[in-house]
Amino acid sequence: MDVFTSLLHGFQVALTPLNLSLAFAGTFLGTLIGALPGIGPVNGVAILIPIAYALKLPPESALILLAGVYYGAEYGGRIASILLNVPGDAGAVITTLDGYPMAQKGNAGEALALSAISSFIGGTLAVIGLTLFAPYLAEWAIKFGPAEYFALMVFAFSTLASLAGKNPVKALIASVFGLMLATVGIDPGSGVPRFTFGEMKLYDGVDFLVVAIGLFAISEVLTLLEHSYSGSAAQMKVRTTLVSFKTFMYSLWSILRSALIGFFIGVLPGAGASIASAVAYTTEKRLVDREGTFGTGDPRGVAAPEAANNAASGGAMVPMLTLGVPGSGTTAVLLGALMMFNVTPGPLIFEQRPEIVWGLIASMYIGNVMLLVLNLPLVGLFARILTVPRWLLVPSIAALSFIGVYAVNNSAFDLLFMTGIGIVGYLMRKAGFPLAPVILGLVLGRLMEVNLRRALSISGGDWTILYASPLSKALWILAIVSLLFPWLMGLFASRKGGRGSGER
Amino acid sequence: MSQQNASHGSDRIIGVLLLSLSVAYGFEARSLEADFLADPLGPKAFPLLLAAALGIFSLYLILRPDPDPKWPPRNVLLGQGLMLLSFVVYSYALAPLGFLLSTTLEMGALSRLFGASWGRGLLAGALLAGALYVIFVFGLGIPLPLGRWWPR
Repeated sequence: MDVFTSLLHGFQVALTPLNLSLAFAGTFLGTLIGALPGIGPVNGVAILIPIAYALKLPPESALILLAGVYYGAEYGGRIASILLNVPGDAGAVITTLDGYPMAQKGNAGEALALSAISSFIGGTLAVIGLTLFAPYLAEWAIKFGPAEYFALMVFAFSTLASLAGKNPVKALIASVFGLMLATVGIDPGSGVPRFTFGEMKLYDGVDFLVVAIGLFAISEVLTLLEHSYSGSAAQMKVRTTLVSFKTFMYSLWSILRSALIGFFIGVLPGAGASIASAVAYTTEKRLVDREGTFGTGDPRGVAAPEAANNAASGGAMVPMLTLGVPGSGTTAVLLGALMMFNVTPGPLIFEQRPEIVWGLIASMYIGNVMLLVLNLPLVGLFARILTVPRWLLVPSIAALSFIGVYAVNNSAFDLLFMTGIGIVGYLMRKAGFPLAPVILGLVLGRLMEVNLRRALSISGGDWTILYASPLSKALWILAIVSLLFPWLMGLFASRKGGRGSGER
Repeated sequence: MSQQNASHGSDRIIGVLLLSLSVAYGFEARSLEADFLADPLGPKAFPLLLAAALGIFSLYLILRPDPDPKWPPRNVLLGQGLMLLSFVVYSYALAPLGFLLSTTLEMGALSRLFGASWGRGLLAGALLAGALYVIFVFGLGIPLPLGRWWPR
């Protein structure tokens, strides 16, 4: 089946009234969640999963809703960046560099409009990339054996470890912790209960949803209490949300280049929107910033990171859908959500459940158009939401987290477990352990173990099968290189800059 | 330099805790036995690998710790403690007190922690609880408890 027919079938799924309204709800909530500093896409998606689950939505509809929140949040993040100099989410940090100066010069409306259009171009190009590349990658990945899969997952963890957070060892510890959580419950291979301490509730394993919401949302609420800063900053006046054709054309090449950079960085496991926007910004600065206007309100400095972070969120869907190996915290949560609906993403999903992948991809074309409309004329509405006081916003997030988890199982045990995981998440944040690897470990743990055991069954217990094929060899080498990369860079830098900064 | 005086106790404590976790986890994994062997590895090999990995990483953390993070001051810690306590109470109170009453009280308490007055917090809590109840129960068809005191 060629791509075009598949996509057409996808549109048949995405254009049903239910899925259209879910795409709208998802993108609207996504913009809202992105706009609010403090809650990012991970929290938004995690909190919405129980609602999607309790509503008994079909899996493709649930994914359309949740993915809408995910890529919608990248649109919304820029609003607070531009108006308040506070990034709405991690992907929008770079947008403050030129967005806020532009707003200070009185061009807030223009900055908002240009960044919305850049987001749209970045997001749409990424969906086109997803449409074109994903089927081929899936076709290629079907040939993966269990050894290759195991090596691929090791590769995903090692890139995540080298990119997420400052200390790779802490990211590795977080990954192992997630994998350990995944081993709790009945062992699928032998039927033996593991690490359950006789607690019947743990026989089915640790509830993914409880961990995701506890780890991200509850720990966030605890963190926000620490930074209870004094009110929101003075609201900028937004007069018009229009960008002149001249400014747009001036930024067009930056937008296109950044979208390309963002997409490919998004595809890489471990690297997401925040890295993509930083790389795109520095690249543009190097390429086009001849007068040194970047950082002082250059429109290209607003356009580049926004095109890149939206392209990255589309790119991150590629490994999640085709390989079943997510590259970021949010895509790991999306993957976990799909598993709750008994759908296992991976190369076979394109053949077995085309309505899910193609329905999602088609809905992303529609969703990006909806987001453009939401973010151009209605941006004032979202800007006003930034004035919601903290004492109202944060408790509401906490209440929503609790209701969501309670709605699925009606169990106080889950709520207490979620609170406990929230404490763990808070301590991890404070001590510099990234959270995304935990969720990735929890989501991939079973699959990783199953593939390891399958590989060793094929070889009759011979461990060399794990790196026997050229592909698995290449993946192991890539995994080791990406893990050593920051260390090698540090070694190089300290040799260059003398040994004064070394420890002790 | 001030950096040299920075203490590293936090990471060392975390490292020791993680090391004990890896040992305990490893011991528990070693005791796992399957009645039949479907594959050469069985149920304990993967957990043992994880225990070994965590052991090595936590030793590294003990030997090469990062400087301590800035832990929050006492008043914030107290607030966080109260917040966690409220979560525990809320978890147990949801079923007997019902969603509307317990959420109103919980929202009031949390708003208070974030600097609002009790009156404002409780009012906002009551409104939010009511709105959420309508959305969840009537809009989304997701049942929420009304509590044992609710006349029926």
